[in-house]
Amino acid sequence: MADSSNEKLHWSVRLQRFDRRWVFLAMAVAILVPFILPCNVPYKASPMVKSLYYTIEELEPGDEVFVSLDYDPASMPELQPFLEALMLQLKRKNIKMVFATTWYSAPPLVQRDISELVERPIEPTGAYGGLPDRAYVKNKDFVWLGFREGREAVISAMGNDLWATFDNRADDGTPLSQIPMMQGYKQLKDFDLVIVVGAGYPGVKEYVQQVQARYNLRMVGACTAVSTTEYTPYYQAGQLLGLAGGMAGSAEYEMLVGRKATAAQGNDVLNAGYLVVILAIIFGNIIYFVSRKRKGGAVR
Amino acid sequence: MKKQLPIILGMVIGIIAVAEFYVPASGMRGIKTTLEGWALVLAAAAFVLGAINIVQVNYPKIRRMEPDWPYKVVLLACAAVMMLTGVAWHTFGGERANGSVKIAMGGGATAPMIKISAARDLALIQIGNDAPLDAATWRKQGGQVAVKAEVETPVRVFMPPEVKGYEEYNATILLHAGEVATVKTDLVMRWGKEGRVHTWLYDHIFAPCNATMFALLAFFIASAAFRAFRMRNTEAALLLGSAILVMIGSAPVGGYISDFFPDLRNWILSIPNNAGRRAIMIGAALGAVVTGLRVILGLERSHLGSD
Repeated sequence: MADSSNEKLHWSVRLQRFDRRWVFLAMAVAILVPFILPCNVPYKASPMVKSLYYTIEELEPGDEVFVSLDYDPASMPELQPFLEALMLQLKRKNIKMVFATTWYSAPPLVQRDISELVERPIEPTGAYGGLPDRAYVKNKDFVWLGFREGREAVISAMGNDLWATFDNRADDGTPLSQIPMMQGYKQLKDFDLVIVVGAGYPGVKEYVQQVQARYNLRMVGACTAVSTTEYTPYYQAGQLLGLAGGMAGSAEYEMLVGRKATAAQGNDVLNAGYLVVILAIIFGNIIYFVSRKRKGGAVR
Repeated sequence: MKKQLPIILGMVIGIIAVAEFYVPASGMRGIKTTLEGWALVLAAAAFVLGAINIVQVNYPKIRRMEPDWPYKVVLLACAAVMMLTGVAWHTFGGERANGSVKIAMGGGATAPMIKISAARDLALIQIGNDAPLDAATWRKQGGQVAVKAEVETPVRVFMPPEVKGYEEYNATILLHAGEVATVKTDLVMRWGKEGRVHTWLYDHIFAPCNATMFALLAFFIASAAFRAFRMRNTEAALLLGSAILVMIGSAPVGGYISDFFPDLRNWILSIPNNAGRRAIMIGAALGAVVTGLRVILGLERSHLGSD
């Protein structure tokens, strides 16, 4: 019965009604195939990512950076590769790091990242042609301050008095006054660079609005692809010295650091995924115009 | 008074917060720090209110067995479980030891020995700087090791990094000739935000569900692109054309085909996109300033529950 009614319908109508699970299947194939058969399409770093890389490269050994890790498991595929490359670049240069987060869902991820990327060497043999990094020691080479609820209020408070915002203690309870690397670093403006790895609200934008403009901080950021267009005005205005957006930004940054890893592999998936979306748009519009023409011409 | 007091409070604190930007006196920083401290306490208290609100909204619906009530049971149960597992129960009633060391004279042995037993098979045992061995392998190899006399030997028993939420046992043992140290360990399972159960729930339930929800977007975007992204008029055509060009420029393959696509994408982002974004941002900022001024001056009262 269904088949006979379909035979009477124009092909454009039938295509308009086709099961959307075919689109899902096309997307699934587009995502899976590049993982199995990587194409390794070459790519170049964008000016925003280059600027981020060279801003960090300009830091001197022993400098101190503040790293805000505001992400959740959903944004890990886009931001985790960036974070790995960032930690490698900072550790190769012997930069000291102070970590904090304004996201309630982030602490377990941050603790895992600290354990795997900071407290252990990422490339101890100096593979990929770069310098080796080393294992950092807690409260000597890095400090984990923990999480504070309050979103923009917390960011503003950190700009004003970082120590007071975290009750003068690191996450493990050690008084900040007893941590040598925290001496002289009481406000965000005391740091040589502020790095925000942000997946949404609060994130890069809130840091720019609450503290960057006010204290004239040197600041770079990484965000999900969907936020890139939102933050580019800050890069253009010089408020952000660099920005890595989404998986593509992470892959470009990986390439500059000299350690192509998961984001580079993800780039192939991006190619195929974008292709499916573009084809879906074109295909959908062809059907739309054919059916509109048919209706306009009153042909049935 | 019920309305005047909040208005006066809002006015005074609002004026201080604004004035702090323009008055560099050190006293202002102290006032700002205090006010920000209050704001953080209020933000934390909002979590408690949120929890009460969830119960108030969902419990009556469960009681009346309204549509989808089983989902609300799951919601409340999950919230309760996460809250309970977030409490550091293992610290109640005092700290429990992870292990103990007993030193005694061995049966005629001249070289000192360390015997170690671990209650958990997954535990790793490390003597000095040697590579750690898991408890089962350690037992098979005799469960003991000879050490140098009169030299401090560090002993570490810990769970592998993938098994989070356990305390670790550390001891430094100094033995004389003929002595045997017996180390018994039973690593304490932690509760609370870094505890075993909480981290397991986070790693195995929250994280996969959270990531899955986000990953599904890829499929919905593809479906929406096919069904809804139609060139119905000139504006839609412009949006669609620029979206396709930005997508091609953003995908690495765009740069592989020609440098034109990434350059065009950068131009679209830098010029038309930024112009539009700036207009929206400046407009929103001016709106926020006006709203803030209205609150400070007591003209805006909707936040007090009146029209």
